[in-house]
Amino acid sequence: MTAKPKLAFYWAASCGGCEISVTELGMDLVAVSEKADIVFWPAAMDFKYDDVRAMQDQEIDICFFNGAIRNSENEEIAHLLRKKSKVMVAFGSCAHLGGIPGLANMYDIESLCQRVFDTSPSLDDSRGTRPQTITQMPEGEIRIPELYDHVKHLSDIADVDYFMPGCPPVVDQIAKVFEAALSGNLPAKGSVIGADVKSVCDVCPREKGEPGFRITEFKRPHEVQLDPNKCFLTQGVICAGPVTRAGCGIPCLNGNMPCRGCYGPAEGVVDQGAKLASYIGALIDTDDPEKINEILDSIVDPAGTFYRFGLAHSIMTKLKYN
Amino acid sequence: MSHPSMIKTFADEVKTIPGGEHLEKCYACGTCVSKCMIQQKVDPDYNPRRLLRLVMEGMNEEAFSSPTTWMCSECDLCYEACPQEIHISQVIAAVKQLAVDAGYTSPLTPVSVDEDLCSGCGICAMVCPYEAPSLYEKEVDGKLDRFSTVDANRCMGCGTCVAACPLGAIGREGVSNAEITVQLQYPKTEPPDLVTFICDWSLRVDEDLDILESYPDDQVKVVHIPCTGRIDPQHALMALKSGVKGVLVCGCKPGECHFKRGTYVANCKMSLLGTMFGQVDLPQKQIRFIQIGTQDRGRIRNEIDAMLDTISVVEEAIS
Repeated sequence: MTAKPKLAFYWAASCGGCEISVTELGMDLVAVSEKADIVFWPAAMDFKYDDVRAMQDQEIDICFFNGAIRNSENEEIAHLLRKKSKVMVAFGSCAHLGGIPGLANMYDIESLCQRVFDTSPSLDDSRGTRPQTITQMPEGEIRIPELYDHVKHLSDIADVDYFMPGCPPVVDQIAKVFEAALSGNLPAKGSVIGADVKSVCDVCPREKGEPGFRITEFKRPHEVQLDPNKCFLTQGVICAGPVTRAGCGIPCLNGNMPCRGCYGPAEGVVDQGAKLASYIGALIDTDDPEKINEILDSIVDPAGTFYRFGLAHSIMTKLKYN
Repeated sequence: MSHPSMIKTFADEVKTIPGGEHLEKCYACGTCVSKCMIQQKVDPDYNPRRLLRLVMEGMNEEAFSSPTTWMCSECDLCYEACPQEIHISQVIAAVKQLAVDAGYTSPLTPVSVDEDLCSGCGICAMVCPYEAPSLYEKEVDGKLDRFSTVDANRCMGCGTCVAACPLGAIGREGVSNAEITVQLQYPKTEPPDLVTFICDWSLRVDEDLDILESYPDDQVKVVHIPCTGRIDPQHALMALKSGVKGVLVCGCKPGECHFKRGTYVANCKMSLLGTMFGQVDLPQKQIRFIQIGTQDRGRIRNEIDAMLDTISVVEEAIS
């Protein structure tokens, strides 16, 4: 009898949503665990880093790595798992593109720390605390991982075989990817798996804008009663669907919320946020040039909206941190 | 307005189409010709006045096959100047409609859609100044799917749709993503200091184009685009990523855009990119959008020199 394939799951800088999405497999997860040995999964099972360190190189068949690279621990374990795994999958938006943590690349570390340790509304008073990599205590030296100056995505630091997008990846796609992985049917290295090729618009059933439709004011979803049958853009609401890879099953659209872009750039998109600016800019009503700036001003937080999941993956981040 | 059954002449026919009714106010002064950018930059024979005469003389076949009928992009520089306040582009549009009805087709090369890439989002249809693209449905693998299709007689080739298309599914020779991208990569040479995307209509005289060419390629790389509506912020980022220190985008002054709204669209996109540069804390001075008017001869040199100065300052600040 051939040995069962060995699987590993890890979370780096992430919220835990990817882990929950895996557990949503329910009884199917039991089926997976019958076909494969889960040898490392800190969020769900009791394994330690030393267990991984003790493994042979490439002993793990497939590692599903979620979360961005925010600190030295994230990077150390990414390198360790890469060494111990035959196949490494960047699992979920954060590993794929940097995800929500990547939005921190808009700020420097000191201003982030000021917010977290000094001015956060949940703090009574500030003691000016800052995380120190090394702290001397009477009992000895305490070390914590080093916070990096910016957020990276997994393929910035490690060789990644497959990219599985989603915040989180939806359970149907996880089931399909596990099935393909366990039956040895994964595509060529470097592929995006568990998703489609074209954009969300391809599968969105909403009525599209008429030729010549232009946006006269941008609104955020909570500011408007949204017609569930019409394209969000025609209702002045920014939707990332046109540049975002389909495959999620459009739960947001079905919930009458616009696409936020978590499945990452569709084929043909180089930089998700810049491309969003390219079509959003072109949709602005330009008939009255006096009003253009007013319309532009109604877009709240362009970088955070256009690059919601992809800032760490963007050319912007590459330019800033070179 | 005549009842259709009373139509006698070609001119009457043109006048029944909204916009065509001002035809007979033309007293052939030729101010329109003197204002027309197509006449100045593309075809010296291009002549709105002559087209109007052809219509009044009943020479419909000549009018239908005249380049004037097809090349007018409705920039309306002539409308502002016409002492008779004739909305000439609308008269020409009326002639064009009759030409299409009579089976004539545009001699211009339209954009076309690659259905393998098109997701049917409809953005091309929404952004086009001429409403040339539209969506249609057809059955693919047993289910209805939406695709964009382009009315070749409406497309003026400005490229606004090409830049807005999220997936690079729409294009034509001369404005495709691949053709622009290749000009932004410098595998064998040092990247230039500055990339200038230039709307070919924004520089109205040859002397200004000569100024552009006076800069060596390793200092200023000029990328010609048909209209700044074609500008894609992705291309600005790609240029900077390849090591270029600044990106200058040059379009037409408001009110003078050759393709109706391209310069405004470019302003919106570049403003958004600039805002995002500010948010991410990248030097906003690295990217600049300018709008050059008919009266701004020679300004392009000042703008390029100023940009070269700016980026050397930015460089020093970074290093």
